[in-house]
Amino acid sequence: MNAFIATVIVIGNRARVDEAADALDALGDRGAVRRVLISEGTKTTAAPDEQDTTIRIDGLSPQYVDNAVAWLRLSSLPAVVWWRGGPVDALNRLAHLADRLVLDTDPPEEMWGRAPALFDETALTDLRWSALTCWRSALAHLVDLPQVRAGLSSLRRLEILGPDRASSRLFAGWLRSSLAGITELDVSIGDAPARGRAPLTHVRLSGSGPGLTLEVQKAHACLEASVDGANGARMVPLGDGSLASRFVEDIGVRSRDAAFERALVAAMEMGA
Amino acid sequence: MPEGGASNPLLDGLRIEPAPAPATLVIFGASGDLTRRKLLPAVYHLARGQRLPAQFHVVGVARTPMTDDQFRQQFHDSLAEFAGLKKPDDVSTALARELSYLSGEMDDPALYERIAAVVKEREDGGALFYLAIPPTVYGTVVERLSAASLTRPPSETGWRRIIVEKPFGTDVESARALNRQIHAHFDESQVFRIDHYLGKETVQNLLVFRFANGMFEPVWNRRYIDHVQITAAETVGVERRASYYEGAGALRDMVQNHLMQLLALVAMEPPTAFSAESVRDRKHDVLMSIQPLLNGGNANIVRAQYDAGWVNGSEVPAYRTEEGVDPRSTTETFVALRLSLDSWRWAGVPFYLRTGKRLPKRTTEIAIQFRKPPLHIFKRVSPTHVAPNLLIVNVQPDEGISVRFEAKLPGTRMQLAPVMMNFRYGGAFGMAVPEAYETLLFDAMLGDPALFARHDFVEDSWALITPVHQAWAASAAAALPLYEAGEWGPAEADALMAADGRRWRTL
Repeated sequence: MNAFIATVIVIGNRARVDEAADALDALGDRGAVRRVLISEGTKTTAAPDEQDTTIRIDGLSPQYVDNAVAWLRLSSLPAVVWWRGGPVDALNRLAHLADRLVLDTDPPEEMWGRAPALFDETALTDLRWSALTCWRSALAHLVDLPQVRAGLSSLRRLEILGPDRASSRLFAGWLRSSLAGITELDVSIGDAPARGRAPLTHVRLSGSGPGLTLEVQKAHACLEASVDGANGARMVPLGDGSLASRFVEDIGVRSRDAAFERALVAAMEMGA
Repeated sequence: MPEGGASNPLLDGLRIEPAPAPATLVIFGASGDLTRRKLLPAVYHLARGQRLPAQFHVVGVARTPMTDDQFRQQFHDSLAEFAGLKKPDDVSTALARELSYLSGEMDDPALYERIAAVVKEREDGGALFYLAIPPTVYGTVVERLSAASLTRPPSETGWRRIIVEKPFGTDVESARALNRQIHAHFDESQVFRIDHYLGKETVQNLLVFRFANGMFEPVWNRRYIDHVQITAAETVGVERRASYYEGAGALRDMVQNHLMQLLALVAMEPPTAFSAESVRDRKHDVLMSIQPLLNGGNANIVRAQYDAGWVNGSEVPAYRTEEGVDPRSTTETFVALRLSLDSWRWAGVPFYLRTGKRLPKRTTEIAIQFRKPPLHIFKRVSPTHVAPNLLIVNVQPDEGISVRFEAKLPGTRMQLAPVMMNFRYGGAFGMAVPEAYETLLFDAMLGDPALFARHDFVEDSWALITPVHQAWAASAAAALPLYEAGEWGPAEADALMAADGRRWRTL
């Protein structure tokens, strides 16, 4: 008998559910989870196929997904819903059954628009958010430097480049909401070719004082965090950026993430 | 939010530990084994996990002449050998640039002026002095650090701390003398006595297991627990540590520190809060409740030394024929003890401790054996012996917790069989378990002493075992039993348990 830390319920079309199942397989021993894989279709009855620690239901009509989840979740394990696509209404009905709801859709805007209404229902996040963790912590570490902290109010401009505009918006939303009351940033978001699996490639915060730069390194394995005029840059590993790695960060979290919620609201306020 | 104040607005919601203030780690003994095996890999892993401050510098200090570049190469070599990093990555390359090296004699004031020059480049930051050197030099280093004004920070935001490796003394008098020597220059709040067992996840988890769960604490006492066994077994022999080990032995090397810490965590009363002082107070209470080991003569303690034998399929020599060991040595490589605690919780519950070298497998565990049910109602239908419930805390190598309980064998007959329910740190949380030195270095940089030994614990644990050493010194060498390498110690250790109608767990 082994310890499980969660039931992970993956919902989406067949291809995206299979992709998530592969990611969970890739976790190996790191992912001690019970899996429920539900692909959407038109069936009105659920015919679960159960093997070891995985239960699969193929082609279930979205209106019955919450029914299936209510049946298959265990009260003894936290339920993490990994939402990879489907009608917004189905998502709304699911929220109260999930201890954590991880959004993972592309494009995300429709879901993001509905997300604030679910903040009080469940601990909601977006998989893009966990991909930004190392970017956020790299910048936060720079702000730990006394000279940077002292000059926060002098920062005026935020430039973000990257292959995924939604990630750039979320990052900008996080910075704007985090620095609200200290400074107001003019945000510029641009497209840039992907470097490895990094969601962003370049971030620059500047103003009248020393600027801060985050940049993906040439080998795409690390990002370099530096302060204008300061000696030495800080190297932060980006991780492998795989779906499995990004999701594993979310498995252990149960609580609401106020920083994400504020970032999402700010990102939506900024517009596309 | 106050600008430039204590809070960092970007840390909100980040699931990362607070980062220490800018710091300089000064490692005395930088060319040594501990630095290569543990400290440099720990620093690298902290960097990879983004847990080092934005400004971080390592100064290696040792007698061995070495350039900065050679020390950096040693860093890369140690990562290749002990951190599995076959070639430098961006993190190790960036970190290597923050490494420098100073060679000199430990009693040379000029060496400390050079250290001071490096540390003072970061006056607002902290300096952590790691003494990975023989204890005989601790006093000299501490005095020289003080003379160079390195024991007190020059500003309010700065800090100065010292990490001291074991052995912290060799008996109660030397431990007290060492504490006096250190306290002459550092406050207790600046002193971090490292016991790497305390950095292990499972050991830290003992507090969580006991005090964050409602179901275990009610049965954690003499009414339900029959006895406790703590085992720390090594397969290795004395290796290259003969010069140290000959003067130490298993009782000093393992029991006084590691096993006493484990015992204290198992037996302590609930602290009032999860604060360093409260936890350390309660641990110290346990120590003070242990009855003198020599109560009843030598009946509570067995010592032995390994003879030639086979371990892991290889033939190994006797301790007395190991390089650097006196052929007539009476140093114990195995010790087993029975401890009794004078407390309401534990009166009548023996704690059995054993540790040794050249045992069949490397493992450290705490096994808590519960009393059997008062009545065996299945005796007629199932003649099978009912195994008592067991709670096993695996400290190493496979960190986790297991519970053994009886279950019905499937079938039409009522037959019982013991089953295990396992929790393993390696798989349960989807993340790597940090090395103990990583955790402890990080805590020392943050100034959190909870996982470090306080001076009174060290002194009183020595006070407990020093009389044993004195008694051994007075007894004849012939009294030292031998055990074959690859066996679980001498027959006398089994007899120690058998006298109480119990036996050691087969591991």
